[in-house]
Amino acid sequence: MSILKRNIGNGINLYVSQMDKFKTITINIYINNRLSNETAKFALLPSVLKRGSLNYKTYKEMTRHLEELYGATFAFSVYKKGERQIAQFRLEIADSSYIKDDITEDGVKFISDVLLNPLVVNNGFDSKYVQQEKEKQKNLINSRINEKTKYAVDRCIEEMCKDEDFSIYELGSIDDVDKIDEINLYEYYKKVIKTLPIDIYVIGNVSADKIKSLFDKYFKIDSRDVVDIPDTPIYKKVDQVKYVQDKLDVTQGKLTLGFRTNVKPGDDEYFPLLVLSGVLGGGPFSKLFMNVREKASLAYYAQTRLERFKGLMLIMSGIEIENYQKALDIILKQVEEIRDGNISDYEFDSTIKALNTSMNSLKDSATQISDFYLSQNLSHTNYSIDDFINKINEVTKEDIIDVSKKIQLDTVYFMTKK
Amino acid sequence: MREIFNETIKEKMYHYEHESGLNVYVMPKKGFIKQYAMFATHYGSNDSQFIVPGEKNKTLVPDGIAHFLEHKMFEEEEGSIFEEFSKNGASANAYTNFTTTAYLFSSTDNFYDNLKLLLDFVQRPYFTDENVEKEKGIIAQEIRMYDDDPSWRLFFNMLGGLYHLHPVKVDIAGTIESISKIDKDILYKCYRTFYHPSNMVLFAVGDVDINKVLDIVNNSVKSDKRQGEIKRIYPNEPETINKNYVEQKMAVSMPLFNIGFKDYDVGYGGKKLLKKDIVTQICLEILAGRSSDLYEELYNDGLIDSTFDTEYVGEIDHGYSIIGGQSNDPEAVKQAVLDKISKVDSIDDSDLNRIKRKITGRFLKSFNSVESISHNFITYYMRGINILDYTTTIEEITNDDVLDRFKTFFNEKNCVLSVIKP
Repeated sequence: MSILKRNIGNGINLYVSQMDKFKTITINIYINNRLSNETAKFALLPSVLKRGSLNYKTYKEMTRHLEELYGATFAFSVYKKGERQIAQFRLEIADSSYIKDDITEDGVKFISDVLLNPLVVNNGFDSKYVQQEKEKQKNLINSRINEKTKYAVDRCIEEMCKDEDFSIYELGSIDDVDKIDEINLYEYYKKVIKTLPIDIYVIGNVSADKIKSLFDKYFKIDSRDVVDIPDTPIYKKVDQVKYVQDKLDVTQGKLTLGFRTNVKPGDDEYFPLLVLSGVLGGGPFSKLFMNVREKASLAYYAQTRLERFKGLMLIMSGIEIENYQKALDIILKQVEEIRDGNISDYEFDSTIKALNTSMNSLKDSATQISDFYLSQNLSHTNYSIDDFINKINEVTKEDIIDVSKKIQLDTVYFMTKK
Repeated sequence: MREIFNETIKEKMYHYEHESGLNVYVMPKKGFIKQYAMFATHYGSNDSQFIVPGEKNKTLVPDGIAHFLEHKMFEEEEGSIFEEFSKNGASANAYTNFTTTAYLFSSTDNFYDNLKLLLDFVQRPYFTDENVEKEKGIIAQEIRMYDDDPSWRLFFNMLGGLYHLHPVKVDIAGTIESISKIDKDILYKCYRTFYHPSNMVLFAVGDVDINKVLDIVNNSVKSDKRQGEIKRIYPNEPETINKNYVEQKMAVSMPLFNIGFKDYDVGYGGKKLLKKDIVTQICLEILAGRSSDLYEELYNDGLIDSTFDTEYVGEIDHGYSIIGGQSNDPEAVKQAVLDKISKVDSIDDSDLNRIKRKITGRFLKSFNSVESISHNFITYYMRGINILDYTTTIEEITNDDVLDRFKTFFNEKNCVLSVIKP
C-alpha cells in the first residue's frame, strides 16, 4: 500500500492511495487548529456549514442530493489530538463499478461547495442557522454527562491538565458559545479558510491524477497565508498526586487514573510505551484484565488508553463503589509489577501480536488509513503502517522497564454516587 | 456446496451443510488483511422457557442465563481460551442478544488455527461451582454499567411499554438477583439443549480458502446424533401495548426519548420478512429521515437535534420501530410524528426512488468491513434471511407496498413514548 502526496495550494496537501478492495471512495478533509478561546467557534463552523451552502440552501436539499448520489455519506466531527483541534469532514461515495454512474466528480464538487461556498447573507452566515446550531452545541456540551464511561475519562483529564490548553473541551465552553454571532463567526470562517493547514486524504479506486485535477477544479482558495500549529507540550513533573471525586446519580463507581508518560509522540520511546500500555491493560492477556477482572472479580472492564499526542496514559474501570480502595491498590500494584520487570513472556508476546494485528487491520478501513497518516504528520514521523509495525517488533522487555520509570501518576479520579 | 452470487455488489458466498446439521457460510474477500469468523447459536435471552428434546416438562431458567453461559464458555479446564487466541495475535469476543449467542474472533494471521480454536472451545463447556460463582461479580458490574447507561434504560423501558409478556422486555443480562440463582447444572442443561451444531451457524469472511475452512469444519465439528426439535415456549403476547408512556429519572442533561411502534404483523421469516424490513425502513426514512419534511420542521423548531434517528427491528416473532433522540419536549415530538402519519395518503415516487438509492448505497458500503458483513449476516440468518437477497428485494418494492405498510403499522394505538428525564 502506498500513498501519493500532491500539493493543491498553499498549505493544502492532498494524499491519495489507490486500491480496489473498497466499494466506495472515501474523502477525508482535515482542518488543523490549536485549542484556544476560539475552540467553541471552530467547533460550531462545521455545523453551520452543513445547514446550507450557496448551491444547497437547506440541509434538506443537501441531504436529498446525497441520497440521489446513492446514499453518499457526509459527516463531520470535531476532536482533539493533543492540543491540536481538528475538524474532519468525511464524504463516502459509491465506486462507479457498482453503480451505473461515475459520481466521483459530483462528490468532490459537493464537499468543496459545502466547505468553500457557504450561504452568506449581509456579510454573515444565516442568523437563524447560527442561533439554532449554537443551541445544539450547548446541548451537546451539557450532554457530556450522559455517557458515564467516557465522561469519567474526560473529567480525569480535565482535572489533570487544569492549567493546560488540553483541558479545553473539544466543543468549547457554554460561555464561549454564547459570544458567537453570525457576523463574528463568518469573519472567523474566512480566517480559518485562509490560514489553517488543510490535509485531504482520498482512498479508493481512483488515481491520484484524476483526484488532483478534480480538487484543482473545485477546491480553490485564493491568497492563503498559512500559520504554523505549535506542537503540544508534553513534559510535566508531578509534585503531588491529585485525588478528585464527582458525585452523580449513578449505581456504579468509575475509577480513572491519569499518568504523565513524559514521552513525545515522535520519540523512539513511544513504541515501548505502546507495548507497556498493552501489557498493562490492552486486552484479555493484560495485567489489569487478569488481576482486576478475572482474579478479583471486581470489574467488567479494566483497561488502558494512551493519549498519545499529550503524553498521557489513562487507566479506566467500572467497579462497586465500596471497592474503591481495593481496586486502586490492585491497579497500582500492576504498574509496580511492570517497573519491577515482572512481565511474563505470555503478556509480552501477546501484546506484540495484538499490536501487529490491530495495526495491520487499519489497512482494511479507509478512514483509519487516513487517520494513521494524519497522525504521522502530527508526530513528524514518516512511518508507513509496516514501518510502524517493525518499530513495535523491535521493542524488548528492557525497553518497557526503562520507559516505565518515566511514567508518573498524576490524578486519581472517582465518579461515585450521591 | 452451493455458490451464491450477488451481481450488484459483486460478492460471492459459499454454503455447505455439515453432516451434523451445521450450516457453514464463507465469503472470500480478496485483498482484505483481516479475517473474521462467527460461530453462533440460535439461542438468546428470549429463550427462557423451553422443553428439552426428549423431556416432557417445560424448563424455566433464570433471566440472563444465555448471556451468563456465553461468559462461561471462555473458561477451559486449563484456563481461559483467550490465552490461546492471544498467542495467535487474534482477538476473541462474544455477544448475546434476544435471539442469538455468537462467538467470534478477528485475526490477520493464523486464521485456520484460530478457526479450529473457535470451533473447539464452543463445543467444550467446562463449568464448575467455583468458576460459576466467580463470574457473578464480573457480570454484576456489567449489569451496573448498563443500569447507568441512559440509552440502554430508555430502550428497555420502551420495550416494557410495548410488551405485556414477551421476554424481549427482560434485560439480556438479567438482574443481579436473577443471576445469583444460576449454577453449573442449569448451565449444562441450557448448553446441551441449544448448542447442538444443527442449531448453529458458522460464518467466515476474509481472504480465505473455502476448502481449508471446510477441512477444519469436517475435522472439528462433532457429529453427535441429531436431537429432536427444541420446543421454545413464548407467552401469547396480546395485540395491544402495555403502557403508552414510561418515564425514568437519571443523570442526563436533557430528556432522551424513544417513540416505539409495536408490530403485529409477525410470525414469519425469510424473504417475506426481509421485504417487510426494507419497506418499513423506507417508511421511516420518508416519514422522519434526514431528508424528510418532519425532520426539517422539528429541527427548525428546536425540538430535535442531530441525535434524532430511526430504526426498525423485525424479528420472526416480534418487531418494533423506534424514533428517538433528545428533546426538551418529547411529547411534542411524538405528537408531531403522529400528526404527520395521519396526513400520509400517498407516497411520492421520487421520494421512494431516492430512498431506495440511499438504502442500496448503505448496503453496498457495509461490504467494506468484515465486521459489518459478519454481524449483518448473522442477524439476518437468524431470521431465515440471506443478506445477498437484499438488493433484489429492494428492487421489488412498489409504491403500494410502502403505502400499505404506512397505513397498517404506524398508528397511535400501538405507540409508546419512553423518556429519560434529568
